[in-house]
Amino acid sequence: MLRFTRHYVSTVGHKEFRLLPDFQLKCGLEIHTQLNTRNKLFSRSTNDPFDSYNAPNYHTSFFDVALPGTLPKLNYEAILYATRLAVALNSEVSSCSQFDRKHYFYGDQPLGYQITQHYNPFSKGGFIELTKALDGIHQERLHIDILQLQIEQDTGKSIYKETDQTSLIDLNRSNVPLIEMVTLPNFSDLKQIHSFIKKYQNLVRHLGISTGDLETGAMRVDVNMSVNDFCRVELKNLPNTSSIMRAVEFEYKRQVDIIRSGDAAKLLKYSETRGWNGSQTVKLRSKETTIDYRYMPDPELPCITLSAEAVKGVKESLPILPDKILHRLMASPYDLSLKDAKILAINANGHDQQYNQGELLNFYIETFAQYTALVGSSFNAKLPTNWIIHELLGNLNKLEFPLSSALIALPPSNFAELLNLIHAKKISSASAKLLLFHILEAAKRSDVVEPVNLQELIANFELDAIQEVDPEELRNICLQIISEVNSPKLLEGIASGKKKGPLKYLVGQGMRLSQGRIKPQLFEDTFKQLLGVEW
Amino acid sequence: MSFKAAISRLNRLPLIQKEYNFLTSVNHNAERQLNESSKSAVHYPLKNLLCAIKDNIATSDLPTTCASKVLENYTSPFNATIVDLLKTAGAVSIGKTNLDEFGMGSGGTNSHFGATRNPLFPQQDFIVGGSSSGSAAAVAADVVDFSIGTDTGGSVRLPAAFTSIYGFKPSYGRISRYGVVAYAQSLDTVGIMSKSLDTIEKVFEVLNKSDQKDPTCLDDGIRSRLHTSSKLKGKLRVGLPLEFTPNGIPKELQVKLLKVLENIQERGHEIFPVSIPDIKNSLPIYYTLATAEAASNLSRYDGVRYGMRELGSDIIEDILYAPTRAHLGQEVKNRIVLGNHNLSSESFNNHYIKAQKLRVKLIDEFDHIFKCSNVLTGSEGNEQGVDVLLCLSSIGKPIPITKYNNATSKDPINCYINDIFTTPISLAGLPAISIPTGPSETVGVQLVGQFGDDFTVLRAAREISKNIITT
Repeated sequence: MLRFTRHYVSTVGHKEFRLLPDFQLKCGLEIHTQLNTRNKLFSRSTNDPFDSYNAPNYHTSFFDVALPGTLPKLNYEAILYATRLAVALNSEVSSCSQFDRKHYFYGDQPLGYQITQHYNPFSKGGFIELTKALDGIHQERLHIDILQLQIEQDTGKSIYKETDQTSLIDLNRSNVPLIEMVTLPNFSDLKQIHSFIKKYQNLVRHLGISTGDLETGAMRVDVNMSVNDFCRVELKNLPNTSSIMRAVEFEYKRQVDIIRSGDAAKLLKYSETRGWNGSQTVKLRSKETTIDYRYMPDPELPCITLSAEAVKGVKESLPILPDKILHRLMASPYDLSLKDAKILAINANGHDQQYNQGELLNFYIETFAQYTALVGSSFNAKLPTNWIIHELLGNLNKLEFPLSSALIALPPSNFAELLNLIHAKKISSASAKLLLFHILEAAKRSDVVEPVNLQELIANFELDAIQEVDPEELRNICLQIISEVNSPKLLEGIASGKKKGPLKYLVGQGMRLSQGRIKPQLFEDTFKQLLGVEW
Repeated sequence: MSFKAAISRLNRLPLIQKEYNFLTSVNHNAERQLNESSKSAVHYPLKNLLCAIKDNIATSDLPTTCASKVLENYTSPFNATIVDLLKTAGAVSIGKTNLDEFGMGSGGTNSHFGATRNPLFPQQDFIVGGSSSGSAAAVAADVVDFSIGTDTGGSVRLPAAFTSIYGFKPSYGRISRYGVVAYAQSLDTVGIMSKSLDTIEKVFEVLNKSDQKDPTCLDDGIRSRLHTSSKLKGKLRVGLPLEFTPNGIPKELQVKLLKVLENIQERGHEIFPVSIPDIKNSLPIYYTLATAEAASNLSRYDGVRYGMRELGSDIIEDILYAPTRAHLGQEVKNRIVLGNHNLSSESFNNHYIKAQKLRVKLIDEFDHIFKCSNVLTGSEGNEQGVDVLLCLSSIGKPIPITKYNNATSKDPINCYINDIFTTPISLAGLPAISIPTGPSETVGVQLVGQFGDDFTVLRAAREISKNIITT
């Protein structure tokens, strides 16, 4: 059943979705982001909303479960995180923002209200810039304006058990700090929405304030959308990027159909909230059933007053923002492709990754600097890229060995030395690969890891490229390979030039036998000579 | 107070409780605790003193019911900060005192455990006044040396006046509210009740501390800018607010007030008529803000995590928890409805915001009257201003419980009128003390000081009581 539904959905979703010129899409986003502070927003409980499976209701204080007589205690770490985000988004931090209570009853809402910011939000204004070059949108550049950022509590979690008609409540998530970011309706196509979500997600990860994961609910995206300026529909319960995209597509088509049928004045008159059930948007609430939240300024929480100097201090402490890093990496001397630059600058999901972006980027920059210092102006920018992004990371993932530990064995100076040896052809590429893998594997196995001595290792394993090859010995190796091939037809093909390909095979055999220590060019020349190659 | 006297008081407890219904639960370990602290070599500042704690203050050894059916069986896993402070200072609690449910009421009659009866009217079933009714009765019946109440709009001062004892409500934020079950926390203040000003001062010294757990408790930075003793020298400058002398006050009370004023003058203190026009708005401001905060604070009593829960479906017409919350008392329900009305999107800007603005204006008017500066508002104080204000604590005297209940059921506003002299002081967060106008006299006068000037209020109380007791 589930398979069938999914199959059905994916065919619908991928059936050439296109915006229609006569039907203008207008979207805004509301993104809730859990802050990964150590403690909760108004209590000292550990902030670990995902511990539910092991220990539901474990990370709860007297305040989190709303015991009589408890009082909120503002966690200033959350304010620091919010300030980082506000500054990174060019949003103006209010000199005095306030908390308000939003009232509604729900089983996983212990206070009977959520503490949020309604009247005086934490910051106002700001923007994120999307560009064709970095974000792949269709326009050259687009500013997405931000209305405001507000700090609020997350609610608990309810799990409804159909079998015995009960709800299970887990309050580990209750009172976890959230930032709600609201954009203006500046989006007019899906690519923009997709790029914005990715960019915002990377930003919160880059600032170290959230895991930014949609799948776990650490980040939740609601979409406000309208077509041809009819009434706004809010889309909620969108668990991942593909649901967001498919829900917008579905809802666009739904509204277009309504407008085409002439019922828009009736059916798109009032704003409503719709959810996503995996295949279509479904009505959750309309205006008539809207709850009056009876917002009230919280009478016991103080105003958050931040001086201009404090905000300035946070601004100065921010890491360089991702766009700037990308631009830098894509320019000289690094000259990285966008794809490679993103590997260094953009945080992926982060859970099964053996490194964090900051340490990888630092390692790259530092190694690059030391490598160019060693080789001078003849440096090859592709060498550090290939060896760090492809070889090193590939090996770390294969070995499940974290970069931070690998760096003890291979600090930038050692890695730059390795690059230098490859650059100077003192060690062949094949040998270098073996050596790198060996170093990492040994480091993983060892209790005490220390920087490796490359020269010593190379000597021990006799990996250094043989500088003076005895021509006689080389001839003998090649003859041995030719005799083992034992296929006159293949050899004739090579000689006549009708089938050149197998020559590479012979060279490969030679490399294998010499453990990569003899340059492939030497093998190729010798084979050509021995086989009387005419081309 | 001697150990022997304390024990003999404990022995009288069951009889007094039966008579006046002033406790919701009894500490059966009181005698043992008294023994321990009495024999200890430690110098406890409150050694051998018995006290009683209002039952809206969290204690881990006895239930904390707020005199409500919804918390009938609730025991807090933690102690309020003040409970720990009192314990550490050597005081022994005899139990938790009866109150108007969640502190909402002026009669001491809105309790799930029944009305508290006034010890000054034995066998007559008179009201004590509320909401700290049990705390007042405990002191009046001489079973404790002092008691702890809470005062949101007069809940310490009114019952103190009705039982002829002292009822001190310090400046807002002086005493920690951590563990005090919120009714309207922008106003809620812990108060001390006793027959002895010495005891009140001693207890205040123990409780007057900053507390990290309470964001509304004054921090050490602000405290360092407050006076730690009275700067008062020589003659008192006493203000008599014109707005507190309305028509319609019973003749008997007018006479009492005049007598106090005469005494003050005879001692050479000066009396000045002053005007605080916005006092006339106090009751509407108070009942707008307090009910809104109450509606919000009480929404946690859904029975899901603690307290009572209605069995079966807990929904009526899509309203979650309506059956459980139906167990709240009528007055509490009235105030929740009123509060939610004030917070509803249609009336919020008209009612709540307006009330907040008027409250600020009222504070501003008080600032103009006092000589002392106000560290919270930044007012520097009026050179020509007064040290304290003086007015009656109530507009009436205790009446029989049946009569009170009839009057309030006919018109709920009746009981709100009792707060007319006390709510303006609460709205401004000012320190105030109700003083009896004579031995066993159930009319009290209030002395009110500038915010943070608590020691001047206590000092003035001492000066004025001297006159009263001797006449």
